[in-house]
Amino acid sequence: MAFLLVDRITEIKPGTRARGGFTLPEDLPDPSPCLVAEAIGQLAAWVAMAKAEFRSRPIAGITGEAMFKEGVAPGTTFDLEVALESCEDDSILYDGWAYVGETPIIELRRCVGPMLPMEEFDDPEAVRRRFALLCGTDRPVTGFFGDAALIPRLDIIDHDSAKRLRAAVRVPTSAAFFADHFPRKPVFPGTLILDAKVRLAARLASEALDASRHSLITPTRLCKVKFRSFVYPGQMLEIEAEVVETNGFSAEITVTAEVGGQRVASARVEAGAREAS
Amino acid sequence: MPESITRDEILEVYPKVSETIADALGRDVEEVTLAAPLMQQLDAESIDFLDIVYRLERQFKVKIPRGKIVEDARGALSEAEFERNGYVTETGLKQLRDHLSEVSAERFASPLKVRDIPALFTVETFCKLVVRAQKQNPKSQAG
Repeated sequence: MAFLLVDRITEIKPGTRARGGFTLPEDLPDPSPCLVAEAIGQLAAWVAMAKAEFRSRPIAGITGEAMFKEGVAPGTTFDLEVALESCEDDSILYDGWAYVGETPIIELRRCVGPMLPMEEFDDPEAVRRRFALLCGTDRPVTGFFGDAALIPRLDIIDHDSAKRLRAAVRVPTSAAFFADHFPRKPVFPGTLILDAKVRLAARLASEALDASRHSLITPTRLCKVKFRSFVYPGQMLEIEAEVVETNGFSAEITVTAEVGGQRVASARVEAGAREAS
Repeated sequence: MPESITRDEILEVYPKVSETIADALGRDVEEVTLAAPLMQQLDAESIDFLDIVYRLERQFKVKIPRGKIVEDARGALSEAEFERNGYVTETGLKQLRDHLSEVSAERFASPLKVRDIPALFTVETFCKLVVRAQKQNPKSQAG
């Protein structure tokens, strides 16, 4: 198991809402808040799949807004919560939260996920068994561990200082997470594409904001996050970040990802100063 | 049988529909004209259509059944009469032209793949979708 992030489901009403848990591995240095957002999305997927009796599953589509209120550290346990405003045959619409204690660390709003036939991605009965395991456990069922392939390597290919940055990311031909994402259709997780974009945007924001004057420039808010098509093992992603505006304390960056000249994903990233803990 | 939709009914919903579509696609509202095809002119993709329908439901407080545009376009025709091997039949094409009366005739390719039907949709198509939903949900017009 390498990309099943939700490790327990503590409450669930199929098609409507759920609570669960996720713990960032201790052995994952520099974990991304995007992974916590992925865990929220996976909990929403369980809610939708349970309603669909595991005949279909949602995939990443659009995130209207993602708020990253604090940084995330290895070994942190998050309480997850999702609420589905709509759960249709063709798509879902949901909000989600990840808490540490009572504090919301990550908040997702207006997430749209298209529903696709489960058989394309996984064995419906295997997914049903995993669901039963997650609902029936009183201890976390770990399905995710630290892996170097989770951290994107950004090879800078073009750089207009403080304005624009372009990088290449080689999608691995094999990685542990492909076994779960997905067993019958290995595709590069949208979360990892998003993470690469966010890291590139943060790097550009540091230049635009003169990071020597601030302790740490990190992503604080994402909006208009869109995943347009699947990215497959071995493909080359080209990611471009461009400054839209800055105000001295935060920068707004637009980021796009392409494969072979075709856009596969896009997002708008706000990054700003956060005091180092 | 759906009622016919008047020009006044379309124009009444158009301002909020155009704002909704502009917001969803990150475009200026001035670009979102009634006749604008969403995919060709406003860079929309199929994922955007899902988002737009959710936004329209919220904006107009209506429920829009999924797949409604194509289902309404098929009308009284069975699936077998409307499409064959992924292509719209001649009978289906005539039905589609009648239903999508806001789409200019030259945009209907022949043969037309079923999966390319969404590429025909204009802003007016979504205005008509909202008006039909409002007529099926009369309480929504009070809001």
